[in-house]
Amino acid sequence: MTPLFPLLNSSAARTCGRGKMSAPVVKMAGRCFYQLYKLSNSAGRLASGKTGIRQFSGAVVKNAAEPWRLLGAACVQRLAVISADQRPLEAKFSELMNQMELERSLMSDHELRLLDDKERLRRRQAVDYDSDEEEEADRDQDIVLTQDLEDAWEQRLKGFATQPRARGVVDARLERADRCLAEPLLLLTQQEVGPERLWMLPQTPWEAGETLKTTAQRALSATPGLDLQTVFLGNAPCGLYKYRMPRSVRDREGLTGVKVFFFKAVVSGPLPPPAPSSLWVRQSELKDYLKPSYLEKIRPFLLNL
Amino acid sequence: QYTIFVEEHCLTRQSPWSNTVLTLHTSAPLRAEPKKKKKVDPKREHVARERLKKRLKKLEKVPPELIPIEDFITPTKCLDEARGRSEPRLPFEESERRALLLKEWSRFKHAQHTAEMEAINLALDAQREALEELKIESEELYKAAIKPDPLVFPFSHEGPCYTPPKPKYDAPDGKYHDITKVYTQ
Repeated sequence: MTPLFPLLNSSAARTCGRGKMSAPVVKMAGRCFYQLYKLSNSAGRLASGKTGIRQFSGAVVKNAAEPWRLLGAACVQRLAVISADQRPLEAKFSELMNQMELERSLMSDHELRLLDDKERLRRRQAVDYDSDEEEEADRDQDIVLTQDLEDAWEQRLKGFATQPRARGVVDARLERADRCLAEPLLLLTQQEVGPERLWMLPQTPWEAGETLKTTAQRALSATPGLDLQTVFLGNAPCGLYKYRMPRSVRDREGLTGVKVFFFKAVVSGPLPPPAPSSLWVRQSELKDYLKPSYLEKIRPFLLNL
Repeated sequence: QYTIFVEEHCLTRQSPWSNTVLTLHTSAPLRAEPKKKKKVDPKREHVARERLKKRLKKLEKVPPELIPIEDFITPTKCLDEARGRSEPRLPFEESERRALLLKEWSRFKHAQHTAEMEAINLALDAQREALEELKIESEELYKAAIKPDPLVFPFSHEGPCYTPPKPKYDAPDGKYHDITKVYTQ
C-alpha cells in the first residue's frame, strides 16, 4: 500500500465535508467544492439575517443558523503488557549483534576462571602429573569448579516459574481486557444511534457548562459495568468525526449534523474485569466492528504501528 | 610577687608583650584607674592580623582539584593482555552474510522510520482539523482545549516486559552495597 493513498482518502473526506463520501476525490476538486460550500453558507447567513453570536447558556456557540450537535468520545487504549514476538529479520539481526559484541569484547573474570579450571583439569589428567609440583594455592581450589557454579545458577533460574506468553484461550475472548497482551487494544461499546445499535468508541452528547474532555470522561464512566482507571492525555481532542443529518431530520429538528470529538486516554492501574456491551479489540479486528467511514477518521490517531 | 588583675574585655593570653607592659605593681590605687594602653599596640596587632589574612587568601587562591570523571578513566583490568580474545578469521560466506544482513536491516529500519513519521503527521493533521472545527463551533471550548493540562505530567507507564506479570507476586528485596565515590570540594 503506497503511503499516498490514505493521505488522499482522508484529505478528500475532510475537504468534501461529508462523512459518508467513500469514493476518493482528487484533492484540488475537493478543496474547490469546500470553498464553494463555505461561500454559499456565508451568503445564506447574510441573506437570512441570522448572523452573529448567540449565547447558549454558558458557552458561546457560533454558527447559530447551522447548529451542529457536539459529542465527546473517549478513545481508550490498553497498551501492550508484554513485548511482541520478534520478526525473523529482527531475530537474525539481534543474534548477529550479540555475536559481534562477543567477538570484540575482552574476557570477563568469570571466563578467565573457566579457562583456569580447564587448564588445571588438563594438567591433572596429563600422564606425567605430579601433585607436589602444583602450587600451594591451587591445591585447595578444586572444591568448587566454576562450571558447578554455572549449573547451580541455571537450576535456580529454572526453579523460578514465569507466566506463559502465549495464551490462546484468553486471546479469543473479546470482552477480556487481558487478551493479546503483546498488542495495544481499543475499547468499543455499543451505542444507540438513530434506529440501530452500533459498535463505536464510548460517546455522549455535550452538555452546557462543561468542557468536551469532561464529556468524554463522562461517556467513559457511563458505560455500564466498566471500572477503569485512565489517564486522559491532554485537553485537546485528537480527532473528529462529523456527519450531516438527512434532509428530513434537518428540516424537522433544525439540526444540520453531528460532530464527535475524540479524546485519547491510556489505561493505568489494574486491568478491569469483563463488562457487558464492551469489547477490547486489536487494530486488525476493528474493521469487523466499525463502519468504514468512521474507521477512516479514527485510524490516523490510533498510531498502532 | 605581683598580682595581675585583668579586666573582662582584655585578652587573658600571656603574650610576650604582656611581660614588658604589665610588670607593674598593681596595688589598690592602681586598680581603680583604667588601664593605660599604648596606642601603638592595637595598631600593631591590627596590622599583624591583616598580614596573616592576606597570606591565607593567597593560599586559598589555589584552584580546587577537579573531580575525576570515572567513565573516562580506563580501569587497569581492561588493559590486561591476557583478557584478549583470539581474532576470529571469518570465512568469506560468513562475512558476506553479515554484510547483506546489515544492509537489509538498514532498509527495514528506514522503512519503519518513514512509516512512523508519516503516522505522526497524519495524527497531527487529524488533531489540527478537530481543533479547527471546534473553533468554528465554540471559542470557549476551543480555549479550554488549547489550555495545557497540569495533571498529565509527570506521566509514567510501565513498559512491556518479556513475560506477563504474576498475580500476587511478592518480589524479594534485593540487597546491595553502594560503593559510589562521592567527591567534595
